Amino acid sequence: MSSYILFLLLGLGSGAVYAMLALGLVLKHRAAGVVDFGHGAVAMFIAYVYLGLRADGTLQFPWIVIPHELTLRSSGLATIPAMVVALVYAAILGVVMYWTIYRPLRHATPLTRVCASVGTMLALQAIAVLNYGTTAKSTPTILPSSPLKIGDITIPSDRLWLAGIVILLAAALGAVYRYTRFGLATRASAENERGAALVGLSATRIALGNWVLATLLAGLAGILIAPISTVDPTSYTLFIVPALGCALIARFTSFGVAAAAGLALGMLQSEITKLLSVWSWLPEQGLPQAIPFLFIVVAMTMLSRGVGARGGTVELQNPSLGRPSRPYATTLLCFVAGIVILMALHGSLRTAFIASLVWIVLSLSLTVLTGYVGQVSLAQMSFAGLSGFVLSHLTAGAGLPFILALPLASLAAVPLGLLIGLPALRLRGVNLAVVTLAAAFALDALVFNSTWFGGGLAGRAIPTPKLFGWDLGIAKGDTYPRVIFGVVVLLFTCGAGLLVARLRTAPAGRMMIAVRSNERAAAAAGIDVARTKLLAFGLSAFIAGLGGTLFAYQQQNISPPSFAVFTSLSLLAVTYVAGVGRIAGAVVAGIMLSSTGLFVTAADKWFGVGEYQALVAGVALTLTAIKQPDGIAASPPPPLVALGKKLSGVWAGRRNGDTAPPAATPVGGVVER
Amino acid sequence: MPDAPLLELDGLDAGYAGTPVVRDLHVTVSPGEVVALLGPNGAGKTTTMTTVAGLLDPIGGTVRFGGEDVGGVPAHLLARRGIALVPEGRALFFGLTVREHLTLAKGKGRALARDELLELLPELQKCLDRKAGVLSGGEQQMLAVGRALVSRPRLLLVDEMSLGLAPVIVERLLPILRRVATDLGAGVLFVEQHVALALEVADRAYVLNHGRLVLDGPASDLRDRPDLLRSSYLGDGAAPAAA
Repeated sequence: MSSYILFLLLGLGSGAVYAMLALGLVLKHRAAGVVDFGHGAVAMFIAYVYLGLRADGTLQFPWIVIPHELTLRSSGLATIPAMVVALVYAAILGVVMYWTIYRPLRHATPLTRVCASVGTMLALQAIAVLNYGTTAKSTPTILPSSPLKIGDITIPSDRLWLAGIVILLAAALGAVYRYTRFGLATRASAENERGAALVGLSATRIALGNWVLATLLAGLAGILIAPISTVDPTSYTLFIVPALGCALIARFTSFGVAAAAGLALGMLQSEITKLLSVWSWLPEQGLPQAIPFLFIVVAMTMLSRGVGARGGTVELQNPSLGRPSRPYATTLLCFVAGIVILMALHGSLRTAFIASLVWIVLSLSLTVLTGYVGQVSLAQMSFAGLSGFVLSHLTAGAGLPFILALPLASLAAVPLGLLIGLPALRLRGVNLAVVTLAAAFALDALVFNSTWFGGGLAGRAIPTPKLFGWDLGIAKGDTYPRVIFGVVVLLFTCGAGLLVARLRTAPAGRMMIAVRSNERAAAAAGIDVARTKLLAFGLSAFIAGLGGTLFAYQQQNISPPSFAVFTSLSLLAVTYVAGVGRIAGAVVAGIMLSSTGLFVTAADKWFGVGEYQALVAGVALTLTAIKQPDGIAASPPPPLVALGKKLSGVWAGRRNGDTAPPAATPVGGVVER
Repeated sequence: MPDAPLLELDGLDAGYAGTPVVRDLHVTVSPGEVVALLGPNGAGKTTTMTTVAGLLDPIGGTVRFGGEDVGGVPAHLLARRGIALVPEGRALFFGLTVREHLTLAKGKGRALARDELLELLPELQKCLDRKAGVLSGGEQQMLAVGRALVSRPRLLLVDEMSLGLAPVIVERLLPILRRVATDLGAGVLFVEQHVALALEVADRAYVLNHGRLVLDGPASDLRDRPDLLRSSYLGDGAAPAAA
């Protein structure tokens, strides 16, 4: 019995970190309406700053190349001064980040802010990798960690200290928000900035104050956990996932619930590790990671109410949508252009172009879901992954031919899409995003990482696609990549584009846009909101699944890391920045922005900037979110517009004699207004 | 007018993104005076009100409050100096209770005691601990007025008090403006579509149309000249027919 309790108490350590990060997330959301995916990365960065001060007395700055170290003292600082300096640093970092990123975004849509925060997360992580490397570092203890005997169990006392600090912090924050004028003002200004100004409150200053407080909490969490779990760029950043789950359970409002959820989550994970050793029938892989998230998904779905009642304000500003005209002609044009590009490029650039085509299909799945129906999903790569692995089982396992296996495997994602779509019937906006993130995380840990299904580290092989004995594979002998494979991918990409373009103007598409604009109004107009949403999730999963199978054929061997949650996150971010309401947006996302796509590969090949790709992508993402929230494809560069007009003029002239060209703008993909 | 004007709009141009909606507007409001701002839809009344409150920056001309030029001063600073706006759409905090609204708006210093406020707006008494989001439309409007009054403003701006409210409630609410002027000595500038009711309460009135001042004068005079009002609302073409 006592060992069960021991594991419960040991879990308080990671639980305290989840809780502290969750408190910061709640603060940021209440004050500035931001769900900050970069919160964990801030904690990681401050931990490195503390480490630097403690180890050799240097102060680290968040930039690269130009000198980024300042030596304060020849030897390391003591614990307390190092902590104080690191926390002051955190406060300044908070001010700078709020002022340069989130203040300009205070009238942007919640999703735009999410994308900006994903950008800061990627950038901070990239800076940490460039400056500190990926090897884990450790630091001497901070809290008293002498063994403590309670009854017949012995635990390090720092776990209890951590839990105590969290409980104190939560209580203090709760009291401040409930009883002080600052708390009241924060609640008021977060809800109605205009109203706040009219009673003499400056919403910006209030949000800034809260932001600094939240950054301090993140820094504190990062520093305190450093002695228990070694510091490295990735695992620290990943703390954001459980922390988001806890903040979500607290509905991004209650400090007490956020702290309790964090501690409980940590203890639950630790206890499952213990139970695994007792109940041998439990699946070994991923269970401690997965169970809590399954719990979050189910709990959130059950707890939420249906349609918002009186007293709940739902503000939804949607990104603009394109309106495809002449979809068939444009598809044909793109297909021909694609073949020309495939023939013209060679070697790594041709591979990159094929990767871009696959990414376009994946982005199109978000055009349907996020663009047309306004639902945010962070599980798109899970759909793709499921289809990819099913493809492997169907072909390598059951020996089905390509022509049957590809559609079947793509369809396999549909039930999963419907399942993940179920919470969407009750959850909206960023809450839905966090739940889909948790679902993706659980799926990744439990299903993809199972050796039978996902093939473990070695991955699973995908046999060469063959049609009536004709080899369509990407490689044959020494030829790699082959044009014929590119043509197959291009065919499917164009097909997916055409499907999404036709959907935009079809009755089902109109229903989706109605649901996106106003669910209540759509229901009042006789649209079955639940069915429309599920249809969109099913279709989106199918398109993502198609992308997954194409990806699998391209890779020839797939393994779980390709479909991890952070890939889904960057898919959403990149697609959103490119323009989630447009097919051209998906094209821009695939060719210009994806990390394995044509533009990035070419830039690396010619200028050797591959090392900085993650950093550049992160910064670019944040900048676009601030400067161009409708997406790059919403306002293409003028030369492209002129070219498009000329082309469409020629086209129209050929078909209809000398009628004036319509003011349409083809941007790579389908003609849009 | 015995007192120096509390609010003085001198050749004000106001509008959005550099394009004026209101041009060359001259309006004064003195302490203890109730002034109506009338006009058809799209005349520029709300634009004028939001500009005076500091939510919009003036494009041209000056806004003087208590003798000082306050053009371009942000709204939250003007609110602290004593300009309170009851905006169109009310801008309440739906998640906060009535009591919390009043605490927050009270600010520091010269606040109105709760008893005084509840005497003016007795309906708020019974819903002090309810959240603004669940109040009825009339109660929400009372709360919006109460939130503006509790800071004991020197200038009260009320934009379309009657929007979406039953005439009975409007008849109940408008006289409060008169009491605010007499009891608290504040200047009151209000926008109202119900012209007859507005002229009963106001000392003076300005009529705007197409962004320009077309008529102004003591309310009693305007009450006696419905033809003038009609032509100012409907344009010059209507004047001969009405006269």
